[in-house]
Amino acid sequence: MILSDTVHLALRNLRQSKLRTTLTAMGVSIGIASLTGMVSLGVGIQDQVVGRLMKSGVFDSVTVLPPQTFRGSGGLFGRAGGGGAGRRGAPQNQRGGLADASGGSAPSSTLDDNAIKQIAALPEVKEVYPVIRVPVEVRYDLFAEGVVAMSVPMTSKGEGPYQTMSFGSFFDNDTDNACMLSLDMAKQLTEHDPNVAGLEPKDLIGKDITLVYASSSAPAPAPGTIDSTISVGSMQIHRIEAKYRVAGIFEREQGGFAGGGTSGLMLPLARAKDLSATIINVSSQSMLRGSVGAAPSASGAPASSAPPTPPARTYQTLTVKVAHPQASQEVEDKIKGLGYSAFSLSDALTAAKRGFIILDILLSLIGSIALAVSSLGIVNTMVMSILERTREIGIMKAVGGSDADVRGIFLVEASSIGILGGVAGVAIGWFVGRIINFGANRYIVSQGGTAGDLFSIPLWLVLGSIGFAIVVSLIAGSYPARRAARLDPIQALRHD
Amino acid sequence: MIRSVNFQRPQNRFVTHLQTSDLRKHYVMGTSVVRALDGVSMTVEQGEFLGLLGTSGSGKSTLLNLLGGLDHATSGTLRIFDQDLAKMSRAELSMHRRKNVGIIFQSFNLISTMTATDNVALSMMFAGIPRAEREREASRLLESMGLGGRQKHRPKELSGGEQQRVAISRALANKPALLLADEPTGNLDSKTSKEIMDLLKALNERDGKTIILVTHDAALAHKYSHRIITLMDGTVVSDAKAADAQA
Repeated sequence: MILSDTVHLALRNLRQSKLRTTLTAMGVSIGIASLTGMVSLGVGIQDQVVGRLMKSGVFDSVTVLPPQTFRGSGGLFGRAGGGGAGRRGAPQNQRGGLADASGGSAPSSTLDDNAIKQIAALPEVKEVYPVIRVPVEVRYDLFAEGVVAMSVPMTSKGEGPYQTMSFGSFFDNDTDNACMLSLDMAKQLTEHDPNVAGLEPKDLIGKDITLVYASSSAPAPAPGTIDSTISVGSMQIHRIEAKYRVAGIFEREQGGFAGGGTSGLMLPLARAKDLSATIINVSSQSMLRGSVGAAPSASGAPASSAPPTPPARTYQTLTVKVAHPQASQEVEDKIKGLGYSAFSLSDALTAAKRGFIILDILLSLIGSIALAVSSLGIVNTMVMSILERTREIGIMKAVGGSDADVRGIFLVEASSIGILGGVAGVAIGWFVGRIINFGANRYIVSQGGTAGDLFSIPLWLVLGSIGFAIVVSLIAGSYPARRAARLDPIQALRHD
Repeated sequence: MIRSVNFQRPQNRFVTHLQTSDLRKHYVMGTSVVRALDGVSMTVEQGEFLGLLGTSGSGKSTLLNLLGGLDHATSGTLRIFDQDLAKMSRAELSMHRRKNVGIIFQSFNLISTMTATDNVALSMMFAGIPRAEREREASRLLESMGLGGRQKHRPKELSGGEQQRVAISRALANKPALLLADEPTGNLDSKTSKEIMDLLKALNERDGKTIILVTHDAALAHKYSHRIITLMDGTVVSDAKAADAQA
């Protein structure tokens, strides 16, 4: 018997009991819809989370810290901005002592330009650059708030959060007298004055904002820079108000991944270097906002010993970009071998992916319950159909139909129900997902979040769901089909 | 010399088509054993029209089912040409039903939801003949049975005689050498019965089909058969030339 004839005959049989076929296929479609919906929820959430992490550009980077300040990534995740400023001085010494006591594999592993060279020489390392945090006060119109500005190298252009700029563009060059704002920061600036309505973040592009900071030396003269000097004891403190053009506005992740290296205010690396060389860190408000690296240079207490031209610059944090995310663990280990503290989020990514696999399995198990029930519906329909068509089966056998022919007809019938139910189920699952997504996003947006696809139905899920529907139908249909195939033709012919 | 004489015999006469020896079929019904066939030995020549006569329960239908490959014998041998049906697997038996025999039933056994053409084409479908070809052949067969205008009709829309002719067309579709007719006129009136029997006779005489007619109607058997085997309680009680047999 030719396969096309088997299919033709099976479809003819299904057409003859349209209602029953439709109801059974609907049962399957509900099962598949719940399965597809559940898995697509898992995939959607995974896309949202991993996509955001990927976008933040943290997976191809390793963060390097001086040995004594590294206390596990937890501190960088959760406590950013949460630690009291008063605690900072004392524990730092304590930590230093601990590092020494624990054997001190590399006692003089300071993060300086030598360290950058050393790390840059490692295999798989694309580039190494320092992350400089500068506490400043941002002023715009009536807005005034302390912010820890962060440095960003020119090489980050078009990467991570700067892949798609919300408005404007990246810096023109490394010493550009410009800054980039995060979208949330820009919103704060534009919405600070309820009396000024209609100002949008995009209106800030090209405008100047004022950075106010205290410096130990006079800045290079620049247009719009105000230098008011006061003396504290033997020291001269310059209160600088400098204008920075807003070059671009980018969207950053709210998750607070310090490794992502974003702040509300981003400055070109060379500029940030100049600033941090002379800046006097007196604003405890600013210190509060800084994370681990926000403490002043390792040489000691602020304000007293910051020399005008430090002989060897040290950095609080280095960011190492690796050639590809898979290498980040290897590079991290090598950097640790050099005596620095380092961490990357590759572990977190691996763990997150593992977690999502478990989530997907759980969701699909829940989704499969309905499918299991509907597969019993298939068995029931097929058994009924065999009872009704016993005589017909007998006739088919009498005129030369083999067991395999009869089995084939019933298996094709079952899988047709599966295809029907699978296609309808994916459609229903997609539709219900859209509705829930629409509702959820309205809520998320109303709560100030960013809308995204909570339900994602990639092609593999569509094909996989339909394929799974067919497989389940075939399994459900295999018992009835076997029963039909084994029917004794004489008995079947006597049946009416 | 005898051998050479054998070779000179006409091909369609006196060639053994079918042979059984000590064929038995026992059913277990509860604790007792029903001996439906209890040692049947017989031979059918190619091109013969054989009547299998017997009352209800004589075992004639059981014998027909075994010849048709619808059932397995308990013991004995059943040779059709050079194949032993008793040794065949289920799949081989279905091949036998498909290729070697056409079975005609008292109750026609047409599939009620299919048209006459589709019913006839069914056995060709199992033989793997492409759709266009088998529909053409089915139409030709139906036309030759005088059912030219009835091809798209379903069994319900056909008279008993027409239904039986559709069934005969189906039995002929795969061109088997052997036709098994189980009370083919049992559900028909006498006029239609005669038409059907004349049709079978023509198939035997014109096309050289070997026909085994199972019936309880002795007059019918004697009128159309060359030879009559009478069964009783699962054994052959007589094997003789039919009274009206020509030549």
